[in-house]
Parts: sequence; C-alpha cells; structure tokens
Amino acid sequence: MKTAARLPSLVLLITILFCMNGCQKNINIEGTTKNIALIVRMNNGYYWGSVKLGADAAANEFSVNVRCTAPEDEEDVEGQIRLVNSELDQKVDALILAASDYNALVEVTERASDMHIPVIIIDSEVNTDKINSYIATDNYSAGIKAGNQLIKILGGSGREAKVGIMNFVKGTRNAEQREEGLLKAISGHSGIKVVAKEYCSSDKKLAFELTQKMIRENSDISAIVALNAISSEGVAEAVSQMDLAGKVNIIAFDSTPNEIDYMEKGVIQVLITQNPFNMGYLSVKSAVEAINGTSISKYYDTGSEIINKDNMYLPENQRLLFPFIK
Amino acid sequence: MLGKRHFKKTLTKPFHKLFESLRVRSIQFFISSSIMLITLTAMLFVGLMLYSKFNKSAEQNAIISTRQVIDQVNLNLDYYLRSMMEISDSLNDLIGYKQDIDENRLVERMNVVLDTRKDIVSLCIFSRDGGIVAGSPSYKMKDVNITIQDWFSEPVNEPANLYFSSPHVQNIFESQHNWVVSLSREVTYYKDNKKKLGVLLVDMNFSSLDQLCQKARLGKKGYIYLVDPSGNIVYHPQQQLINAGLKSENVEEVMNHISGIYFDKFNGQNRMITIQTVNFCRWRIVGIAYMDEIVTTKKEIGVFIFWTFLFGTVFVIFISAFLSAKISQPIKALEKSMKKVEEGLLDINIDVKGEAEVAKLASTYKMMLTRIRSLMDQIVLEQESKRNAEFEVLQSQINPHFLYNTLNSVVRMVESGKKEDAITMITSLSKLFRISISRGRNIITIQEELEHANHYLTIQQIRYKNKFQFEIQSQDAVLQCKTIKLILQPIIENAIYHGIEHMVDDGYIKVTAEVSDGKLLLQVSDNGAGIRSEVLENILSVRPENREGRGVGVKNVHDRIQLYYGKEYGLEFESEVDVGTTVRIRLPYTAETVVREVRNEDSGKTA
Repeated sequence: MKTAARLPSLVLLITILFCMNGCQKNINIEGTTKNIALIVRMNNGYYWGSVKLGADAAANEFSVNVRCTAPEDEEDVEGQIRLVNSELDQKVDALILAASDYNALVEVTERASDMHIPVIIIDSEVNTDKINSYIATDNYSAGIKAGNQLIKILGGSGREAKVGIMNFVKGTRNAEQREEGLLKAISGHSGIKVVAKEYCSSDKKLAFELTQKMIRENSDISAIVALNAISSEGVAEAVSQMDLAGKVNIIAFDSTPNEIDYMEKGVIQVLITQNPFNMGYLSVKSAVEAINGTSISKYYDTGSEIINKDNMYLPENQRLLFPFIK
Repeated sequence: MLGKRHFKKTLTKPFHKLFESLRVRSIQFFISSSIMLITLTAMLFVGLMLYSKFNKSAEQNAIISTRQVIDQVNLNLDYYLRSMMEISDSLNDLIGYKQDIDENRLVERMNVVLDTRKDIVSLCIFSRDGGIVAGSPSYKMKDVNITIQDWFSEPVNEPANLYFSSPHVQNIFESQHNWVVSLSREVTYYKDNKKKLGVLLVDMNFSSLDQLCQKARLGKKGYIYLVDPSGNIVYHPQQQLINAGLKSENVEEVMNHISGIYFDKFNGQNRMITIQTVNFCRWRIVGIAYMDEIVTTKKEIGVFIFWTFLFGTVFVIFISAFLSAKISQPIKALEKSMKKVEEGLLDINIDVKGEAEVAKLASTYKMMLTRIRSLMDQIVLEQESKRNAEFEVLQSQINPHFLYNTLNSVVRMVESGKKEDAITMITSLSKLFRISISRGRNIITIQEELEHANHYLTIQQIRYKNKFQFEIQSQDAVLQCKTIKLILQPIIENAIYHGIEHMVDDGYIKVTAEVSDGKLLLQVSDNGAGIRSEVLENILSVRPENREGRGVGVKNVHDRIQLYYGKEYGLEFESEVDVGTTVRIRLPYTAETVVREVRNEDSGKTA
C-alpha cells in the first residue's frame, strides 16, 4: 500500500524530468549558432574596416557569429599562421582568410580543408586548390584598369612618357597580379616606359622616401602608379611635398581618407578602388552556404571601380569612398 | 537482495497494473479508459486552443513590436528634421529684415547654434552664384561648383519649398567628408541695400540617424531602410550590396503604400513589410521583418505543446492505471474470496482493505459468512442431540427393566392363578409395544399417544396392586393431532416412581389433552410427594450425573419437543411438596401437525 502511494509521485517526477529534457532540447536547437572565423591581414585601416562591416552585415542576416582577428601588421605572416591554427583548434565551422602570403599560408589552409572546415579565401590568393571559394577583386583586371587610366592621363598613345611603379610587398599575389595587369595594358604603347620600380614593404615612410629618390633620379617622370593604399599615400605625400602636384600624375589603389584628400587637391588623379564591404559580405554568405552544403562558385570577383575627381561624389560612389566606420 | 526484489517489484508493478487494466470489460479497464479519454480530450482541446491563441498573439506581437520600432524611428527622424527646420526658420527670420545683414552677428548666432547642437555640422548662406555669404564653422571652401549640387539647385528651382536632401557626403569644404542630411531653402537678404536671393543650408550629421536606423532591428535578420518620394533608396544598411547588384528591394511595391503593413514573398522569403512616412521630407521608412523568425516562435510553441501533450499522456496513462487499480483491486480480491466460498471453503479469512464502500461490503460479507458458519455448527449440534434423543427413545421403547418387571408380575399372576389380570397385563403390554414401535414411525396421533399412556398405566396399576387410580380425559378435537411419540410415558413413569410409589395413601394420576391458547396442552397431574423447589429449578436444564436419577426421561422429552417444534414448546412443571405435581406439555396445535425434519423421519424408519 505504501509503495502504491509512492507511485504517482514517482510518475510525476519522471514526467517532469522528461519535460525538462524536452525543453533542454529546444534550447539546444536554438543554440547551434555557427561560428565563423574571419582572419584578415591587419587590425586597422579603412579597407579592413569595410570588410568587417560587410561581414557583420552578413552575420546579422544569416544569424551566425563572425569573429574577426588579425595580426599586428600585414607582414606578420607567422602571426597570421598562429591565428589560423588557434581558430582551427577551436573547431570553428568555417574559416575566412585574407592571406598575408601566397605560399606561407598554404599549409594551414590545407589543414583546415583536411579538417573538413570550409575555407573561403578573400582579397588575395593562396597557392592551393583546397579551398571552397576565392572572393576578391580581380587584381589583374584592376591592373589593366590602372594601365588604361595611365594611358588616358598621359594623353593617349604615341606620346612619350616615363612612369614609375610603387609596389608594396614582394611575393604578395595581389601586387604581382596588379603589376602584371598594368604592364599588359601599357605594353601596346611603346611610348610609355617604366623607368623605375620599387617595393615599399607597405611602409608609408619608405614609400615616401623611395618616391623622392625615384623623382630625383628621373626628373622627367610624368606618372607614378602606386599599387596599394599605403604606398599610394606615401607617393602622394612625396609628390605633394615636392610641389609636383599635377606634374607627376598619380594613379593609386584603394580609397583612404588621405587618398581622397589628395585627389581633391589634385595630387592623385585616379583611384582604383575595390569593394571591401561586398568582399566581407560575400565571404560570410559563401561560408554559410558552404556550411549548409550548398554548392558555391569557386571564384567571385567583387570588382573594382575607377574613381576620379568628377565621379567621386556620385551617390553610388559615396558609400564606397566614405564608409561609416566606427 | 530484499531491497533489489522490492525495487523490481515497484518497477514492474505499474506495468503489471497497466496490462491488467487493458483487459476489456473489467472495471479497471472502464475506469482507466474513461479517465484517459476525458483527460486526453481535454488536453488536446486546451493544447489546440493554446496553440492557435499563442500563434495569433505571436503574430500580433510581431506586428506590434515592428510597428513600435518603426514608429520610434519615425519619431526620431521627425525630431531631427523638425529641429533642422526650426534652426533654418530662425536663421531665415534673422536675415529677413529689410536691411543689410550683419554678417558678424549672423556668424555669431550660427556659432551659438553649432555649440548647442552637436548634431548640426554646418550652417551656411550662399549667394545665387554659389559664393558664401556667411557660414559656420569657417572651413575653407573647395574649388567646386556648388550650384549644380542638388541641395542648391532644387530650392532655386522651387523657391517655395524646403528641400531635404538624401543622406550624402557634403562636398563643400576641404578635408571634410561628413555624411549629412541637408535642408536648404531659398532666402532673400539685403546687401548694399539691394535685395538679393540666396540659399540657406543646414547640414545635419547623418551618422546619428544612421545609428538609429542600424539599431532599429526587427528580429535578428530584419532591418529598416528609407525611400524618398521618387522611389530612390536614400538609406539602406547594405547600400553597397544594392549598388553592386547583390541585393535588391521591391521598391515599386513600397511606393504603392504610404503607411501600413503588408506581406510579400521576395527572393524566396516571406517577409512582413511595415511602412511609415516621415513628415516634412516624405521619406518612407520601410521595415522588413522575416516571417520565418515569427514562425520560429510558432514552431517553438508547437514543439512545447507537443512535448507537454506527450508527457501528459504518459502521466495520465499511469495515473489512470493506478487509480483504476486502486478502486478495482479490493473488489477483485473480494470476488476471489467469494469464489473460494462458492467452492465450499467457508473457513477462509476475508481480509480486504480498500475504499470505505468496498471495505464495508467485505466486512458485511464476512459477518454473513460467520453467521452461516455458526448456523451450520448449530445444525450439526442439534442433529447430534436429536440422534441422542432418538437413541433414548429407542431405549425407552424396549425398556428391559420395565419388560422384566412386567413379565415377572405376569409370571407371579399366572402362578397365583390370577388369570384375568395376567391376560389384561399381557394384552396391555402387547398394545403398548405396538404403539411404541408403531411401524417405525416417529410421529403418531394424540389418540395413539393417550392409548399408549393408558396401557402403560394399566400395567403399572396391576403391578402396584392398585396402589393408585388413574383417569385419562381428552377433547375430541385433539385426538387426531400429531405428536412425536412417547412423550407421556416418561412423565407418567416419573410420577409413579417418584410421586406415588412412596405414598401411604392411594395415588391418583390424571392425564388430560386439550387445546389451550391455540396450543395443544397435555397435562399429567399426580397427588404424590411433589418435587422440592431446588430440584424443580434444575430439572430441565441440568443433565444429572446419574442416569438412573430422577428426570432423565423427562428432560429427554423436553429436549425432543423443543428440537422438533421450537423453543416455545416443551414441558412445564408445577409442584408442591406433599401435595402433588402437574406437568404441562405444550405442543403445536394443528390438525395435521407438520413434521419439520423429514430426514429425521427417515432415520427413525431405519432405526
């Protein structure tokens, strides 16, 4: 009789436990937010800020967590490898990487692939096929655009002109591709001669000094093409300080506030801008699709825009040039 | 070991009960199935009600909260735009006097406004040709043609209106790239005593508005964007995606609404679109909320209700099995013991505990059984005493002592030549025995019984040499009544041996038979020694040790009468020492006195 009296309370207890278990399950279903690691080349700068902004927009839209990290500076390849490894150790659901080096990051990229973690490479290529998607500006065609603008500024074909190239880091895939594109564009114009080429190692001060040296050595130089944001700023600063604005034309890459200032002052004539916001957005979107098993295209070109003083204030370019970055 | 078994028992017990309850047509099945049916129906009903109710309110809540967010944004935008208008109005008032403007005073005033309003980026008055008349802060102007910019050309083309620009990067000052919303209007001012036309510009920082719109989230994925009256998206959190063609909005549909809510399916997703139009600038605030987020709540509720229902069902099954078992188990136990009784096991112990009703039933049944048992015991006892009485009757039928004495008397009579007496005695003896035996019948008529008494008295009278006289009287009505045999003879014998024998005077014995108070009354009276009262008291209750003692036969008669006819019949003594004794025998009075014990007659036959 005593056991019989205990029976309903026993049943009640079991039922409550089951119910709680059920609730727990529900919570678990809610809590399976995917984690995506976004590793870029640098922690600061308008360019990477825009990438993050785009990534955040996508993270919101697709309800995923995006954790953005970067080494101290762009040349810290070891640091970036460490970051990638630590993210992989934490078993992220997908990896988005803007590689600092074409070859050095192959190993960690392949490691991610071996762990069956989807890998999305953005901005600059890594020398491996074991990736899910590569989302970047088509640097070669951006180079061609720069070349064509150069030809236009120099007054069309046939005219003799000496130009200099300010590249950034030797061995960086982007730099090489942009240079290739540029050289391809001007190759048909025998009048345009590349008289100097320097690597500034993405150092503004070095770029400044190298530009001064370049101009001193080639006093009749009529244009300098700077292949990334930092080298562009260095070149523009040197030209501006030497009071050669308008005489030494500058074709620059990206769109930092400084570059825009120089463009408004007439120091920089043309900016070839990329679309970092879209790059960030698309990388996260592709990562989510890869996690969900949807097939994604192996390559996506986020495009590049030609900005000059006349079109910079058009509504469609304002967002590109003046992003809201907190 | 014991604990383990106990544990196993508690575990298997409910299942055992569960299966037991599944037996159709048992009380247990009926109770558990009705409890289950009622409870589950109620649960299903409540569950469905709750589900639909919750769904409705979830949707309603989503609509309300979305609308609240949009209203909040609208309110804020309204506040910003209104404050811009107020500033613009106050500056317009200041320069509207028909006299030359005091530039210093104007700039001073502008500085005050800028100091107090951090969200105002710049205040400027331009002449029609684009030159600055007065402005704060005093940035260096760019070398650009501002007259072709929207904020300048629009109010010039439509002088009556205030013009609100879309958010844009202000392109007036060097090194300043602020995102602003511009409010511009055409103004008249006086300079050098000449009336001139110009443009008054108020620039408000857009980043605060941008943050406002960014923060206004509708669910996790939902967002807000702004459309100007001509259908251009003036603000979108993912403007660049739209520019790049990666994203698009169904602006055409939005333009059909001024405010309200509608639902659409866009790019494969169901969305709820809430529209509000801002005052002054007529921008539409478009809130996009994704239905799958609202449906998620629905799903959660559905899952929750499903689980609750499932476990409720399990719970109800167990509870109903338990309850029905608790109710029906005692009844079953009772039924089981009844079956045993049916099989003849009267001696079982009924120990059924349960609810009050069943317990009472059990105890009543128990009482009944006890009663049956005691009745049966009584019957056995009675049978036994009847057999004893029968035996004694048989004994008195052929009393050897009496026979010996009588025959001895006959011999003496024959020897002394009293031939007549001997004949009378032998005749009486033979008649006596004939009635005694009466062909084995146990029941005889009163007439026969009286005859038997008569013969007996005759024999004894001769033996005692006429020491006593006797008389037998009877009503005619009673003669054919039936009675068990040999009830008078032991009493008469008693009267002779104990009453008359020791008398000095002549004795007298009177036997009567009559109807009295609806009963048959036989009386045997003598005038003998009488019986002492202490003997008289115990004469019918105590069986004397000495079988030869007084009253053995008398008590036997009394017991036999009571066994046959019940407690209300029997013997009654009335006696006074030295005066005499009267014994009254009461028997039922019926024309054909029915024999109660048929079986007894049979046993009498065989004897």
